[in-house]
Amino acid sequence: MKRNLRLGLLWSWFWMILGWLYFLLPLLATFLFSLRAKKDTLSFLAYERVFKDPNFWKTFAFSLEIGLITILAGLVLIVPTAYWIRLRLPRLRMITEFVSMLPFVVPAIVLVFGLIRVFSGAPFYLTNTYMGTNALLVAAYIVLALPYLYRAIDTGLAAIDVRALTEAAQSLGAGWPVILLRIILPNLRVAMISAAFLTLATVMGEFTIASFLVGIKAFGPYMSLVGQNKTYESSSLAIISFVLTWAFMGFIQLFSRGRAEAAPPGAH
Amino acid sequence: MAFLVLSHVSKAFGQTQAVKDFNLEVEKGEFISFLGPSGCGKTTTLRMIAGFEQPTEGQILLEGEDITFRPPHQRNVGMVFQSYALFPNMTVAQNIAFGLEVRKMDRAKIKERVHEVLSLIQLEDYGGRYPYQLSGGQQQRVALARALAIRPRLLLLDEPLSALDAKIRLELRQEIRRIQQALGITTIYVTHDQEEALSLSDRIVVMNQGQIEQIGTPFEIYNYPQSEFVASFVGQLNLLPVEVLDLSKNICRVAGQEIRFTPTTNSILKSGKVRLAIRPEEIRLGMVEGENLLRGEIASVIFLGSIIRLRVKLGEGILISVDQFNERHFQPPRPGEVVTLHFPIHACWLL
Ligand SMILES: Nc1ncnc2c1ncn2[C@@H]1O[C@H](COP(=O)(O)OP(=O)(O)OP(=O)(O)O)[C@@H](O)[C@H]1O
Ligand SMILES: [Mg+2]
Repeated sequence: MKRNLRLGLLWSWFWMILGWLYFLLPLLATFLFSLRAKKDTLSFLAYERVFKDPNFWKTFAFSLEIGLITILAGLVLIVPTAYWIRLRLPRLRMITEFVSMLPFVVPAIVLVFGLIRVFSGAPFYLTNTYMGTNALLVAAYIVLALPYLYRAIDTGLAAIDVRALTEAAQSLGAGWPVILLRIILPNLRVAMISAAFLTLATVMGEFTIASFLVGIKAFGPYMSLVGQNKTYESSSLAIISFVLTWAFMGFIQLFSRGRAEAAPPGAH
Repeated sequence: MAFLVLSHVSKAFGQTQAVKDFNLEVEKGEFISFLGPSGCGKTTTLRMIAGFEQPTEGQILLEGEDITFRPPHQRNVGMVFQSYALFPNMTVAQNIAFGLEVRKMDRAKIKERVHEVLSLIQLEDYGGRYPYQLSGGQQQRVALARALAIRPRLLLLDEPLSALDAKIRLELRQEIRRIQQALGITTIYVTHDQEEALSLSDRIVVMNQGQIEQIGTPFEIYNYPQSEFVASFVGQLNLLPVEVLDLSKNICRVAGQEIRFTPTTNSILKSGKVRLAIRPEEIRLGMVEGENLLRGEIASVIFLGSIIRLRVKLGEGILISVDQFNERHFQPPRPGEVVTLHFPIHACWLL
């Protein structure tokens, strides 16, 4: 009995370490490789070059901006929708859940070709202008981020008794704007933050749609270009984007923790 | 005109007729309970008064104003929910202040009012706490305070105590009544617990399958139930098959034994299946001249603390419940013993 237990523990450690190695070894190799830009010594030269490249900052800033607009527009679109569905149209939830998963099924390349076909001609001509393409990019990213946005928000809504809170607020005299701003949004903080970071991570690394719509202006295509042309810098970029993603994840954890201390879930 | 009037109110959800032709007049300051089994339409009726549902037919008047289709946030009607529904992102004080802030009351006044209702529910020191830092009973008291803070025209409570344990429930029940009387606020209280309804209410509305069965004071409802449903839903009731012998002398036969009963209107008798109704607590063990007497065999003895419930077999398939007060020296009869029961003539009636 006791031996069995110890053996089980051993095995679980074994698999866990194996998993970590599978995950970490390539990362470590990439990292070590990225340090070899200078002959015969280890250095951060590749990183220096990346950070000195004005295009790195330009494309980074562009994608960050697009990401933030996507988050804002996405939340404005999804939060009231998900709230209303939970409140009044619970039977629609099956459908919206399915729709929110579609971006996983439809390849990005199909999406972007479709967008270009529809919006490049009459009556839209969106792809002819700077603002137009950017708007299209944001729209495409909202679709791409839909699964994360909708899921996160819907889970957040599930954690509170939406209907009772809404009715309590109504009986106290609150109209819809007050209910949304003072009751629903504050209780969705964590959900919105995780939705935001997941969306940002998606947008920052996205390649297909960006390269078709705006090309090298965006961070994804820039990274890919560097990857094709500069050996060491591409490795350092991979590490940088990896660190960025993990930083986002870390932020989600941090914010959710801060919230959890204020009000543990499940405490009524 | 009464303070609150519901006239011919009906509500259908698709095929389900949740409430049918509901008529009620509530006076200012009255405490009314809606009592009935699960699914009888109590909540639906309350929600129509609050404005969360709209009647398919009928009219609701509050202080003479037609509020049938007015949105809930314009009714100034306070509501307390079974699930408390406190805002988890706000402290107790902020929860209570919410309705006042919505009304744009000035800060100093809000502070004063919050303090006032907190002392009303005896939670003065809890203003800074978050809902999750309170017990269920405390949370429900805060919810009550929050509803009262806006000085509502009506206070509506939907099974506010059913999520709490027995002891707290009793305590809070008295608290609700005390506060209601102190403020003189018109209150409608939904419950399926007859004890709550009987102990709290000025009047009780007994509902069944979307319809009102009877409206009356707790005393009337308990002692003069007007239908079999009310009689058996409120309190315990024996319903014994009878054979009416002489209607003019009010004599009938139960399991071969003659019983005299209170005069009844003939209409009941024409309805066919007639039964003798009597509450278990009206029946005593032993023989008393001039009262109704029944002989039977003890089938079971159930000890309920303050009460001992005897089941007595009068004949084939005819059982009667008898409640005796417990006393320390009382020796309850044993199953199988043959006993005589007595009860006054006015205690039983035909139904
Ligand atoms: N939103 C709704 N849609 C469809 N049917 C409903 C809805 N709300 C209530 N009903 C139906 O109306 C009837 C009355 O429901 P209601 O909630 O008023 O009962 P209740 O007396 O409060 O019962 P309980 O004691 O279980 O709370 C039930 O048959 C219920 O299924
Ligand atoms: Mg109910």
